[in-house]
Amino acid sequence: MRPLVLPPRLAAAVSLLGPAVAVLVGGFVLVLAISDDPLLAYKDLLFANFYSVANFALFVNRTTPLLFIGLSVILSFRAGVFNVGGEGQLYLGAIAATAAGLACARAPQPLGLIAAAAAGAVVGAIYGFIPGQLKVKLGVNEVVSTLMLNFVAMLLTQYLVTHPLRDPTAYGAVSFMLAPSVWLPEIPCLPGATDGALIALALAPLVWLALYRTTWGADLRAAGANPRFAEAVGIDADRRVLEAMALSGAVAGLAGALYVLGIGHRFEQNFSPGFGLIGLTVALLARLNPFGAILTAAFYALVLNGAAYMQIDTDVPRSLVGLLTGFLVLFMTARGRAAAAPA
Amino acid sequence: MSGRATAAAGALLALRGVSKRFGDKQALSGVDLDVRGGEVHVVCGENGAGKSTLMHIIGGILQPDAGELLIDDVAVKFADPVAASRAGVGMVHQHFRLVASMTVAENLYLNRQPKRFGLFSDRAAMRRGAADLIAGYGFDLEPDAVVGGLSVGQRQRVEILKALGFDARILILDEPTAVLTPGEVGQLLDVVRDLRAKGRAILFITHKLKEALEISDRVTVLRHGRRISTLPTAELSERAIAIDMVGREMSPAKREAQPQGEAGVAPALEARHVVATDARGRRLLDDVSFAIRPGEILGVAGVDGNGQTELSEAAAGLRTIQAGAFAMAGRDVTRLDVRARRRLGLGFIPEDRLDRGVSADMSVAENVSVGAYARRRLANGAGLVSVAARDAYAAEKIREFDVRGAKPSTPIGALSGGNIQKVVIARELDLRPVALVVAQPTRGLDVGAAEFVHRQILSAAERGCGVLLISSELTEIFALSDRIAVMFQGCLVGTLERAAATEEAVGLMMGAGTRAA
Repeated sequence: MRPLVLPPRLAAAVSLLGPAVAVLVGGFVLVLAISDDPLLAYKDLLFANFYSVANFALFVNRTTPLLFIGLSVILSFRAGVFNVGGEGQLYLGAIAATAAGLACARAPQPLGLIAAAAAGAVVGAIYGFIPGQLKVKLGVNEVVSTLMLNFVAMLLTQYLVTHPLRDPTAYGAVSFMLAPSVWLPEIPCLPGATDGALIALALAPLVWLALYRTTWGADLRAAGANPRFAEAVGIDADRRVLEAMALSGAVAGLAGALYVLGIGHRFEQNFSPGFGLIGLTVALLARLNPFGAILTAAFYALVLNGAAYMQIDTDVPRSLVGLLTGFLVLFMTARGRAAAAPA
Repeated sequence: MSGRATAAAGALLALRGVSKRFGDKQALSGVDLDVRGGEVHVVCGENGAGKSTLMHIIGGILQPDAGELLIDDVAVKFADPVAASRAGVGMVHQHFRLVASMTVAENLYLNRQPKRFGLFSDRAAMRRGAADLIAGYGFDLEPDAVVGGLSVGQRQRVEILKALGFDARILILDEPTAVLTPGEVGQLLDVVRDLRAKGRAILFITHKLKEALEISDRVTVLRHGRRISTLPTAELSERAIAIDMVGREMSPAKREAQPQGEAGVAPALEARHVVATDARGRRLLDDVSFAIRPGEILGVAGVDGNGQTELSEAAAGLRTIQAGAFAMAGRDVTRLDVRARRRLGLGFIPEDRLDRGVSADMSVAENVSVGAYARRRLANGAGLVSVAARDAYAAEKIREFDVRGAKPSTPIGALSGGNIQKVVIARELDLRPVALVVAQPTRGLDVGAAEFVHRQILSAAERGCGVLLISSELTEIFALSDRIAVMFQGCLVGTLERAAATEEAVGLMMGAGTRAA
């Protein structure tokens, strides 16, 4: 039996789109089985994001943190570090930006905003640097340390938002509202959508450039792909790992900061529906390609928001999306058994 | 197709016109082969000649596109390895397929465990059967030993027993000696002779010519997927096989006698009383000293595992040493890291290409350019890589070093071992090394690639580079070295001028660790 041979670019496209199509078709069969109005349910899931400008703005806002975290994960994974601390870095970046934004309420127009965003990035960078240093100096497994540090970050922010930063006039554990002078503006022609989306979109090619078109990136990927090789050709692999972790933390911290400054305008205790974990899937589904992450982040945002509309209009629960994304991961990670040609 | 085939009636296994294609690569075209009972039939060929594909077809792992297989003159088709093994074909792969955490008996009975009440495995029966099988072939194996704790040679014998099972008449050994120490090779060849005496047909894949001549009754040579010749071993010489394999006359690289360097020049690479220990304090390098003049090649022979790996890593700066010193061109480099040593001109060709030599997932261009971005102006001052310059540089190296089947963008892991090694050598020689540390440079390479590698090492020495050549292949050591030292249990025991050294004397030192009288 001759295997079907596709030209490489087409094969790559099929390997990316094929699973998505398979999941959507499979999902439709599921919806067909449980819903009285399967067509409306599926129409909502896929297209409700584009029904109105407001819906589209919400879709953009949902994509933004996912793309940031996806890029953050790509930076660390390319250096061979399995950084699963995105959630913690995100929370610390958000709380740092909140504190800085509150402190800079009277600063001149763009300065307060820049200071708050920078505070988020710096705190995130430090929080990424810690597990990096633990790994390089003491050989601590980064999966364990980043996972544990997530709890530390979340509990710390929980304390801060329920005590010193809490807005006593508001209901629930939320911080004081930020002064509009430090808010990140909206996209001019798209009311309700944050400028953070544009920053994230601009960051993707920058990350690609740094990884694939600089000697720094070449060394970093060599250290990530084969540390013993990197050592033998004189690459300072430890240093690259630390830099990658700090950068990765900075990007995740920035995600939290820009969420607060552009979308929430205050720190809410449970503002993240697991952006850290979803961002990890975004990066892995994109096969750690920064441009691919734009697509996968958008796809996730699309179905996450679409599911909410679907639940409102029809009898299909939004948890269907959990099922669909689970299948998607399964299909993407499964590969056809290639007919290996032995030497 | 050459008419030199000697077809024989009554062959146990026969192949007629077997062809196989992978994508646009014709791996085998119209190959005929006969194997008789009680015969050791060696199949030789360069890497990529189609040896493994042919064996995988016989073993049922691959199915031919055309042609047929006959066992006892009856045409057979194997859908999978299980069908092949039922028909009496057993295969020992180059890379072992054993479960390390299970015992020898469990591995032997994998997938065919005797059952008690059709449910529980009957461990007693299994152990008994395994013990009988082992005793039948006189192997030194314990049925209850865990495979993970066995030596490579012992694991191979488990594989052989597994392949023979209880009724295999045709045994395929795919490059069985590649992973063995010289002593283990001897034992393996004894096992093969014993199986031949028991009337089994043995297909033995190798590209080591000496072994082919030593063990075989007939030799078939493949080149580019075609059978070139099948001849009785008695009519063959190493040279004749090599010509058939490569398709041209070989001219093995040979070091000419060198004039003695003048005194007073600092050695290119020097070790002084170097000691390295493992975590438990055992001495891996025990007071190792040598001095290599510029343009000189010092060969270090020895059985694997006597400290050669550690010596190469310590010299390259990859292993901290507990005492002693390294110097390059008169400058103490003991405290310098890899990067600094490379900047002073220390090239390193590691023993395991895929481990330390290259990053397999990255492209040829990225692998060959590592460390050369600044030197060769492949990137600007800000570190922004010029892809055009990098790929042009890689293309130039690919041409210069004859890296076959490679474009700058090819992932290097997709190349054959010989071509990967050429990329490593291209990168290291581009440093214009003052000293070159070379470990097992031709391990796993075919004759053509090995010859190329040897020429590169010789020409580096001619340009004035001092070479530390560590190898467990004596022929290689003798062909290239000016002086020959032997490593034994972490010590350098005795250094001989090549003119004064014989393979026998060096072999004795390798085994006994004492200088032959």
